[in-house]
Amino acid sequence: MQIQIQQLMPIPLKDKLLQRSSGIWNQDVSFSPGSFVKIKAPSGTGKTTLVHYLYHIRYDYTGTVLVNNRPWPAYNKNELAAMRQQQISIIFQDLRLFEQLTAVENIDLKRVMQPNPYCTPEKIQEMAAQLNVTHVLQQSSKTLSYGERQRIAIIRALSQPFQWLLMDEPFSHLDEENTRRAAALIAAECKARNAGFILTDLDDDQHFSYDVHYQL
Amino acid sequence: MRPFFELLKKIIHTGIGKSRFLMASVGLGIAMLLILVAIQVHSNFNQLLYSAKNQNETADFLVINKKITNAIMGQSGKSAFRPEEIDQIKAQPFVQAFGLITSSRFKVVVQAPGDLHFATDMFFESVPDSFLDVKNEDWKWNVGDRTIPIILPSDFLNLYNFGFSLSQDLPQISQETVKALPLQVVISNNITSEQYIGHVVGFSDRISSFLVPASFMSWANEKYGTTREAPTSRVIIKTPDPSSPTLVKFLDDNGYTTNQDKLKFSKTRLIVQTIVSVIGFFGLILLLFAMLVFSMFIQLIIASCKREIQLLVMLGTAPRQLKRYLLKQFVPLYVIIGVVCLLLLAGLQYVTAMVLAKHDMVVGVWPGPGVFAGTVLVLGLVYFVNLLTVNRYVNKES
Repeated sequence: MQIQIQQLMPIPLKDKLLQRSSGIWNQDVSFSPGSFVKIKAPSGTGKTTLVHYLYHIRYDYTGTVLVNNRPWPAYNKNELAAMRQQQISIIFQDLRLFEQLTAVENIDLKRVMQPNPYCTPEKIQEMAAQLNVTHVLQQSSKTLSYGERQRIAIIRALSQPFQWLLMDEPFSHLDEENTRRAAALIAAECKARNAGFILTDLDDDQHFSYDVHYQL
Repeated sequence: MRPFFELLKKIIHTGIGKSRFLMASVGLGIAMLLILVAIQVHSNFNQLLYSAKNQNETADFLVINKKITNAIMGQSGKSAFRPEEIDQIKAQPFVQAFGLITSSRFKVVVQAPGDLHFATDMFFESVPDSFLDVKNEDWKWNVGDRTIPIILPSDFLNLYNFGFSLSQDLPQISQETVKALPLQVVISNNITSEQYIGHVVGFSDRISSFLVPASFMSWANEKYGTTREAPTSRVIIKTPDPSSPTLVKFLDDNGYTTNQDKLKFSKTRLIVQTIVSVIGFFGLILLLFAMLVFSMFIQLIIASCKREIQLLVMLGTAPRQLKRYLLKQFVPLYVIIGVVCLLLLAGLQYVTAMVLAKHDMVVGVWPGPGVFAGTVLVLGLVYFVNLLTVNRYVNKES
């Protein structure tokens, strides 16, 4: 799956962003399939905005986001849903779990959204064990700590098939040890799918062996 | 799709406003029942009126004449039918058979035989044989026969037996005796006269007149007729349904009249039809309100789960899936309501059929096809309206 951006520019940040140079904004960039992409961005430069544009849940931009050579607006709602179930997965910065569900139900929701789940329940248990969250799986997600929620959100994103994984500061609430474990799991799952990811973060890091670096 | 819907159930609560939903369901049930009852009563009525099993009850003969009003009193010509009026009657859809009633244009005097000392001026009329309710092999006359078969109205003998004879201290007479009595019938045109023997062959409940065979009538009118061809002032029709409102309206519109007793059923029927229509109408109104409440209920659910729906869609739930889930929460209930209504109606119809059977009226034991069609139609309509609502609001939020 090919993701391309052409002259992408967020309308609300336009004036601010035009005053500084950027490797992404107002440029033509093509993310080649299967590559690990790191986008480093200081606060307030539209990091989350970019992820939302790439995932097509915000539309206030000029320029184009091309997915498989088709601009996002050309996809209808059901096609978009199919893309989000099969091709593209996301870890939101604000996690976005359902508070009325338990941790494992939050993961299962994504897992069984498609008629033929990609992962088995055992696989979920396995990933939970790897991230040290097995003991909270049956708890309501309302009662989880931020770090636990973040790991549940990571497992949820990995419970589906994808070509691209979008991550918006995915380790912001994790300690070093847990970050290392999560990164290893993500890298393994991406490799297993021959998938790439786009990760945005504030600082440089050594969690992955990145193929490409961009400065937002 | 099952486990996903199980999870959706925890996110999209369809439990809010459950009492409202229950009330709407009861409303839908009542609406459906009213509509189905209206359809079934209509079909039962048609069966009673037109089905072959009940046919003999309704097909009837009506003698039609113009109403004698004060304005046309004394002008006998005005009470006669013009040829175009006769054609118009013949052309009516409710007229199965049509016959003219020919009246005599000669003088008739009838005398009782022997020493009964009874003589009266009279008249004769004739109708085509097919309109008679008296079957008798003596009912024929050929030129040269000295005996004339006569049919009297049953009412005539009743008037005599229960009115006249009791008050005058005269003996009551049985039908058989009247049939055995040879009457002296003298017909004349003031110049010549001829005497015949009148022989009563039967009594008619259908036509209130003194009837002779058409062959005699035409011969006698030819020979003894005093006036020229007399215009027809009474006609007889056979109609499958004397209570048909169109027939009654036709008669009223043209100032015709007939034996009102036979039309009485028409009024009953009109009342029943009106009641049935009103029931059906209320059913439709109720259905409308039920659908409105359902729509509002769906709208409420979607609005109260707006954020959840948005997040679900963000995570990749197809609007298709959401719609299917929402419809799945309601449609089984509709089907249950439909089946319950059908069962109730089938029970009602069975009881109705049993009760009517005691009165020799035959209606089907099972609800008619119209009822099933009605059920499907109402359910289809409700489903369609729900589908529209769900489509509209899910698309709005996704």
